[in-house]
Amino acid sequence: MRARGKDALTGYLFLAPFLVLFACFVILPVGISLWLSVVRLDLANASSSQFIGAQNYTDAVGDNFFWMAAQATGKYALLMTPSVLILGTAIALGLHAMSRGREMARALIYLPSMLNVAATGILWQWFLNNEFGLFNYVIKKLGGQSVPWLTDANMAMPSIVLMSLWWTVGGTSVIILTALQQIPKMFFEAAALDGATERQIFGKVMLPLLKPVLLFVFVTTTIASFQMFGQAMILTAGGPTFSTRGLVQYMFETAFNGYRFGYGAAISWLLFAGIAVFSVAQARLLRSRGDL
Amino acid sequence: MTGVMSLVGLLFVAPFAFMFFASFKKEAEVLKPEAILPRAWDISNYEAVARNSVEAPVGLWFLNSVFIASATTLLVVMVSAMAAFAITRIRVRGGATLLSVVVGTMMIPGQLFLIPLYVILSRMGLLDTPYSMILPASAGGFGVFMLSQFMRSLPVAIEEAALIDGCTPAQLFWRVTLPLCGPSLATLAVFTFVASWNDYITPLVFMESVTNYTLPVGIALFQSSYSTQYGLTIATSLIATAPLVLMFLIFQKQIIESMTSSGLKD
Repeated sequence: MRARGKDALTGYLFLAPFLVLFACFVILPVGISLWLSVVRLDLANASSSQFIGAQNYTDAVGDNFFWMAAQATGKYALLMTPSVLILGTAIALGLHAMSRGREMARALIYLPSMLNVAATGILWQWFLNNEFGLFNYVIKKLGGQSVPWLTDANMAMPSIVLMSLWWTVGGTSVIILTALQQIPKMFFEAAALDGATERQIFGKVMLPLLKPVLLFVFVTTTIASFQMFGQAMILTAGGPTFSTRGLVQYMFETAFNGYRFGYGAAISWLLFAGIAVFSVAQARLLRSRGDL
Repeated sequence: MTGVMSLVGLLFVAPFAFMFFASFKKEAEVLKPEAILPRAWDISNYEAVARNSVEAPVGLWFLNSVFIASATTLLVVMVSAMAAFAITRIRVRGGATLLSVVVGTMMIPGQLFLIPLYVILSRMGLLDTPYSMILPASAGGFGVFMLSQFMRSLPVAIEEAALIDGCTPAQLFWRVTLPLCGPSLATLAVFTFVASWNDYITPLVFMESVTNYTLPVGIALFQSSYSTQYGLTIATSLIATAPLVLMFLIFQKQIIESMTSSGLKD
């Protein structure tokens, strides 16, 4: 029905609650954030704030801490995204091949995704503790050297990735598994009849059919990785020596510990730019290879 | 493969078992991971949690989490369903444009909203209240987008029949469209509840008083101020996660399916 008169009024009444919330807490914040990023804010008196143009943005370009944070975020994304894709696909294939108990195994692997980041971080901080953690206990029992999981600047980020994998890979596996289950069995049967080996079936039949879901996982994981925050806050507080302090944490600390709202807003727009560029670039890259 | 994957499954839940057993251990035992089971089951960690002390009012955090997650879920489901109904069924003028703006804003990372929301909520006097979490979480476009997709697929014939029988649009919404959307509403509700319960960054920014914390920020505070007492911190984390884990164990099939379908649609 196309609403007219009284019905149209009813329609707008139905829309009103969302519209008010959306205007106040989505549209208005976007505007304020843009404004904050181009002024020098006077917290006591907003109307006397000074317009400074792109200075917050150019400040970021010249700020070593900003680049360190960008590097930490980039490192996390570079380690996390391929690991999630490979491990997620492997687990999905394993679940798919199970003759029984698949639903049970799927639930167990998904369970960690139900935890909040603080509980996950606390648990893993205990596991990864240098002196009394479970990991080093086992390593030492096996005759190895204890590993400085969270206290070494080179080890801390891989440790955060390890925890994040346990925490989130279940969701990825389930998404890939669902896609696998939607492929008609006859595709594989036909390939097998034609004498294809298991490897050929995997590489030439299964992977191409999984490409859309893998691209989806790739893009969403990269975007989520750029927003990494809680894991580092809880496990390392961004340390040692800022090696795990990502862009979101830098923005958070700039705004809410340093009260530099304008600079923080500018950092959040740069983060958005990074994400937007990446998701567009990734989609293009894969499409240009011709088979999507 | 069944055997291998069973082992993988166990590997993923093993940390939960360690967590559970550690919460019943004395601190000295927690710090020596020689045995998995506690030597003597000790409930002093839980007794400490139950004391609901001024520095760490775990019971209060629990109630805050329950209230905020429930209120957010209720509000998101109602507001989104009404908006999706107006856009796709009543087809108000400008509805399609609004929907594309809403979908557009979904690409903006949530962290970008923190600083301006802090400014807005502080002006409204809502900082450090539950509304600082409930209202912004209810303004997101995901619910409207998802329910619009679903409502569009509903057959028009049912509604036309109801309208010919003299149904008003409001009656149509309550008696016909909403019941037909049952599964989608459940998916949205589960998704929203879990996201709100587990939200960490929002209360970290918007809540000042320890008494207004939700569980994730509460246990994070616990960790920084009692970092030497792992048993106690782990017991608190266990309490913070138990409701969702229990809910998951009962409804795991529905939850997994709703979580994946909500991510996969378009």
